[in-house]
Amino acid sequence: MFVTDFRRDFYDVIQTERVLLFVASDVDALCACKILQALFQCDHVQYTLVPVSGWQELETSFLEHKDQVRYFILINCGANIDLLDTLQPEEDTIFFICDTHRPVNVVNVYNDTQIKLLIKQDDDLEVPAYDDIFRDDEEEEGEGEDDGENSGHESDGSEPSGKRPRFEEDVIERTMKRRERREWEARRKEILFDYEQYEYHGTSSAMVMFDLAWLMSKDLNDMLWWAIVGLTDQWIQDKITQMKYVTDIGILQRHVSRHNHRNEDDENSLSIDCMRIAFEYDLRLALYQHWSLYESLYNTCYTSARLRLWSVQGQKRLQEFLADMGLPLKQVKQKFQAMDVSLKENLRDLLEESANKFGMKDLRVQTFSIHFGFKNKFLASDVVFATTSLLESIEKDASGTDNFIKALDSLSRSNLEQLYQGLELAKKQLRAIHQTVASCICTNLVISQGPFLYCCLMEGTPDVKLFSKPASLGLLSKYLLQSFVCSTKNKRCKLLPLVMAAPMSVEHGTMIMAGIPPETESSDKKK
Amino acid sequence: MFCEKAIELIRELHRAPDGQLPAFNVRLRDILPRAGAGLSRGGNRASYPPPDVLKIQRETYISSVMTKDDGIRQVLEEMKALYEQNQSDVNETKSDGRSDLIPTIKFRHSSLLRNRRCIVAYLYDRLLRIRALRWEYGSVLPNALRFHMSSEEIEWFNRYKKSLATYMRCLGGDEGLDITQDMKPPKSLYIEVRCLKDYGEFEVDDGTSVLLKKNSQHFLPRWKCEQLIRQGVLEHVLS
Repeated sequence: MFVTDFRRDFYDVIQTERVLLFVASDVDALCACKILQALFQCDHVQYTLVPVSGWQELETSFLEHKDQVRYFILINCGANIDLLDTLQPEEDTIFFICDTHRPVNVVNVYNDTQIKLLIKQDDDLEVPAYDDIFRDDEEEEGEGEDDGENSGHESDGSEPSGKRPRFEEDVIERTMKRRERREWEARRKEILFDYEQYEYHGTSSAMVMFDLAWLMSKDLNDMLWWAIVGLTDQWIQDKITQMKYVTDIGILQRHVSRHNHRNEDDENSLSIDCMRIAFEYDLRLALYQHWSLYESLYNTCYTSARLRLWSVQGQKRLQEFLADMGLPLKQVKQKFQAMDVSLKENLRDLLEESANKFGMKDLRVQTFSIHFGFKNKFLASDVVFATTSLLESIEKDASGTDNFIKALDSLSRSNLEQLYQGLELAKKQLRAIHQTVASCICTNLVISQGPFLYCCLMEGTPDVKLFSKPASLGLLSKYLLQSFVCSTKNKRCKLLPLVMAAPMSVEHGTMIMAGIPPETESSDKKK
Repeated sequence: MFCEKAIELIRELHRAPDGQLPAFNVRLRDILPRAGAGLSRGGNRASYPPPDVLKIQRETYISSVMTKDDGIRQVLEEMKALYEQNQSDVNETKSDGRSDLIPTIKFRHSSLLRNRRCIVAYLYDRLLRIRALRWEYGSVLPNALRFHMSSEEIEWFNRYKKSLATYMRCLGGDEGLDITQDMKPPKSLYIEVRCLKDYGEFEVDDGTSVLLKKNSQHFLPRWKCEQLIRQGVLEHVLS
């Protein structure tokens, strides 16, 4: 059931109870969790936080905790499966689900008592109508597809058998009903198939939580920043369309100007140590302010695919690109913060102009940046890369939950060392992705298998351990597909999806596989 | 030189950082007639591992205890020897009228007084530390700490506990007031804690229980968590 009034039906209900939070392992869920934690700490709601990274873990954790808590909140997990069936909870357990996965399972939508969905209904959900899918089984005794004859006999037995004309009418009625029911079943199958065949994502959970905070007038600049990071994570992982991203940025922009208007006025501006968020129409280069411009151009998917940087010609093209802008190589290769100020001033416009000449039309993107203290300035995408790499770091002895806790900590402003550590890991990851993509294309590892493209990473490939986690593998596949499409002249490749396989765990001999939709798919409904 | 052993005892206590209780340094049952029967064998004391809670360096501690074997006994033996010598000299002086022994007697007497002062200071300082342990750890001490106390000290501790409990009971109306909690004024009713190791179920005031699994975070009332934070199961998260 959809919750209409978030405050009354969700927050007021749990304010006096103990709740259990199940949080999935992605940055959007982490951000939503942080916002919710801040609200709970404000109102002294006792909660327990349990990270889950898959269905199995969700089930085991639920079994462990179900005797202790009645109210469960699931963030970014659970909307697209039949939850009651999977978890088998008690009668009085209530689940609040805030999930971006769509389509929402119809059982979850139409269950009135135990499942409450914290999802905005103006998201294009297109849930089929109740009557199309569920049918109250009033005439159960007469119907039943499989055992029509038997149940017919049973109900017959309850009637006195001497009324023949009535019996004939009953038979006709029953056959009509059976036919009707069969038609209805066929239609239902079709509707459900249409509804469930494509998988996509809705509004970021972090934004939903921020909205709740705003409704209660308890929103802070910190929470706004987490909502921004959650949205940017969805965009970086290609979970939402460009249109939706821009719309959501517009919504957040209003909140940003509401919270951060004091900076424009020179007299009343805040101290430099206070946190401020600013809207930026900034470059799409990953981590460029914490790296050198050259490295960033080299390792960002967008530029490396279009300039074809895996080949020698591509490198020459990159140097041409830099020469076109008038940036000396020496400057460009040193740390961005050490570049000459005169070069940094007009960098964005300069880059955009030159990029247009080289076929890169969307080098700039709308985003936000955060600023606190003299040294600390981060773009939303920087934070997303850092947190993702912390969440999926492959250090030995670091279990999934350890990484989760580290990543959660890095989102607080007081844990800057962890954020910087995450940035270093993200740089490593991006470099590894670039090298793997380059080697795959140069050695023709991407094979066309008819309706899709296929690529398999062998165990001995360098850095292959980095790709044993889902989000990293997803990022790699995306980059590989983009680069591959730019590398071949075959027009058909643009329409083919990619299936990627990488070894997940050497001891168990398992592989992790990812499939991504084709390049040209611009709608958000993806298979 | 006389009184060196006694000074060693004082130094040992002085070296132990504030609040820590080194092992009781004596084989009292050999010396004092009213030594309790519950004393474990003094010689084995060196082999007890130092408790994690006190965080004493294992090797240096064991070696120091082994060399300082039976500190108080030695002091008391020294005192006994001095006393006997003094006694004989005094008798000699009285009977023979030798006045040249008097400075020696005075010297031995002052060393006896010094020894006594050192021992009393040692015992008193230990008692103060034991009293602080009650305020820090609660009424049940970890086993490792118990081994460091002599039986008299344990008895003293029990009596102190009882008197503190009687006092607390008479304070706050019917139920009494636990004044050992909240030593510093608390900033909030609830704190955010993170679980560092698997602990199992933990019961909260209203009867419900919390499952403490590694790396799960909880938001619980402060007073319930303090014990577990001290034990190292939970960690206070500041954000």
